Amino acid sequence: MMVAAFRNQDGLLDALGRLRANGIGPLQTYTPAPLPEAEEAGSPIPLIILIGGVVGALASLGLQTYSSVWAYPLNIGGRPDFAWASFIPTIFENAVLVAILAGFVAFFVLNRMPHLYDPVDEAEAMRRASADRWCLAIRSDDPALLDRARPALSDAVSIEEVAS
Amino acid sequence: MSASALPPVVAPGETIRSMTDEVSAVPLDDRSWTWWWILLAPSVLLLLGGVAGVGWAFNRGIRVWGNDWPVMWGFPILAYVWWIAIASGGTFISAFFFLVRVEWRTSINRLAESMTLCAAACAGIYPILHLGRPWFFYWLFPYPNTMTLWPQWKSPLLWDFMALLTYVLASVMFWYLGALPDLATMRDRAKHPVAQTLYGFFAMGFRGGAAQWRHLKAAYGTIAALMAPLVVSVHSVVGLDFAGAATPGWHSTEYPPFFVFGALWSGIATVTLLVLGLRSVLGLGGLMTERHVRVLAKLLLVSSLCMSYAYIMDAWEPFYSGDPVEKTQFLHRLASPVYWGMLGLNCLFPLILCWRWVRENHWLLATVCAASIVGMWLERYNIVVLSLERADISSAWGSYTPTIWDWAVFCGTVGLFGTALLLLIRIVPIVSMFEMRELLQKRTERPA
Repeated sequence: MMVAAFRNQDGLLDALGRLRANGIGPLQTYTPAPLPEAEEAGSPIPLIILIGGVVGALASLGLQTYSSVWAYPLNIGGRPDFAWASFIPTIFENAVLVAILAGFVAFFVLNRMPHLYDPVDEAEAMRRASADRWCLAIRSDDPALLDRARPALSDAVSIEEVAS
Repeated sequence: MSASALPPVVAPGETIRSMTDEVSAVPLDDRSWTWWWILLAPSVLLLLGGVAGVGWAFNRGIRVWGNDWPVMWGFPILAYVWWIAIASGGTFISAFFFLVRVEWRTSINRLAESMTLCAAACAGIYPILHLGRPWFFYWLFPYPNTMTLWPQWKSPLLWDFMALLTYVLASVMFWYLGALPDLATMRDRAKHPVAQTLYGFFAMGFRGGAAQWRHLKAAYGTIAALMAPLVVSVHSVVGLDFAGAATPGWHSTEYPPFFVFGALWSGIATVTLLVLGLRSVLGLGGLMTERHVRVLAKLLLVSSLCMSYAYIMDAWEPFYSGDPVEKTQFLHRLASPVYWGMLGLNCLFPLILCWRWVRENHWLLATVCAASIVGMWLERYNIVVLSLERADISSAWGSYTPTIWDWAVFCGTVGLFGTALLLLIRIVPIVSMFEMRELLQKRTERPA
């Protein structure tokens, strides 16, 4: 695999465009801040959070209804057993908890994290990919393809080849 | 028309490189940490005193505290409410101002969230200690048990348990997701193998890959949108703990918003105090600039005015209701210096913030913040203790005196807060570096 590092986002995006135009890939970027593309491409996480919230709310309503209507009816100031209005605060809190848990877990599952080692870590440039270098990895071991990629990486600060 | 332009959110010379160096140097460099040890030593001592106090309460039961009929809530609930209010302020700054996309939030949100975690930890231990038989705290959870008992869902006290549980867990997850990219930076910059391993483990293999950023942005933004209503609900439910009881002085629909105002006021004050202290001592003045200080000062003034409004309503209601018990109870509070201290520190003294030169004077601003923290403690005393001292019938009147063990546990939580926050500052980057990079990138793009 070949890892190229750039001084800033614009350098990386230019090279990325050129590589894509030449059909070189698969490509992976490692950047210290999100690329503008990150905003445009969607993520299923908001939907997962919504589903978590709905499931949490329904489960909470079900549990409260079951326990106060069937399992343990308790007369509190003459209120009905199914006093749904007084269930609302707990439903809200439970829904938020399940929703946030779902989003949190989904983040790690979707990214297959923890992912403590990756061959790309062998590239020296990756030490600064979390600080001030915008890195690009061509995850291929085909020497012909990598040679073809070099002209597109002319703006790079460094180019390294590491085993993948 | 603007006679004086606003100071910049980031000092003009800051670049992505310099910002990353400055922030990650805080935990990694062998700089002088004298001030840190000077603050840590008393914090740990207070914490140890608190551990002793809790140990004694476990050994003898909670009769070692001043709680007694009719003031059954006393210090534990007073301190619980005080701490959870301070904690909420951090989430307000972090989540609300994220949603409205203000730039000044970026360099202080990590600090605000870290402060929230420490204060929420202090708040969280109090209700459990106050149970009297803390080893049965799990009875609050709804689970099928051999006693065939279920929680009483109609009670605000159970809502409070659910709210606090959600709030603490959600705050930890929100904080951790936001810290993940910065932990990765620390992993890549750490020199010591132990530091590399620990940061590496907690960064969980975050490398700034395109998919990682995409999911992180989506998760963080959506969770922030949930944290904002959550924090309002948490402190409203704390208010309902009081309003739900048929106790004179408490039984009012004003309580939920009243408590949320209090959370804003004391939480923002705590964040401001930390910003004022840390920007000078950690050399982060280029990131936490005059702009931040001025914005926070204005927020303080607004939240103090909200408090004044709440106190006016609080004073108006006993007389409007015409209920003699409410009136007696309120006059009892008026006779206490605690009430006047509360008004002075939360309403009158902060009015000096109306003058711009006061908002720009860091020492005066810090004094207002300290006044807020003390004033809110007095408010909790006024609500929890003074109200309970005057119940409906005069035969149930009483008085309350905290014991040395009350003070030991309370000071212990102050020590816990200090110790935990100092450790976090020493270990985790206290400014969100990846969000600062986005901000700096936007700034360099704009003139071009």
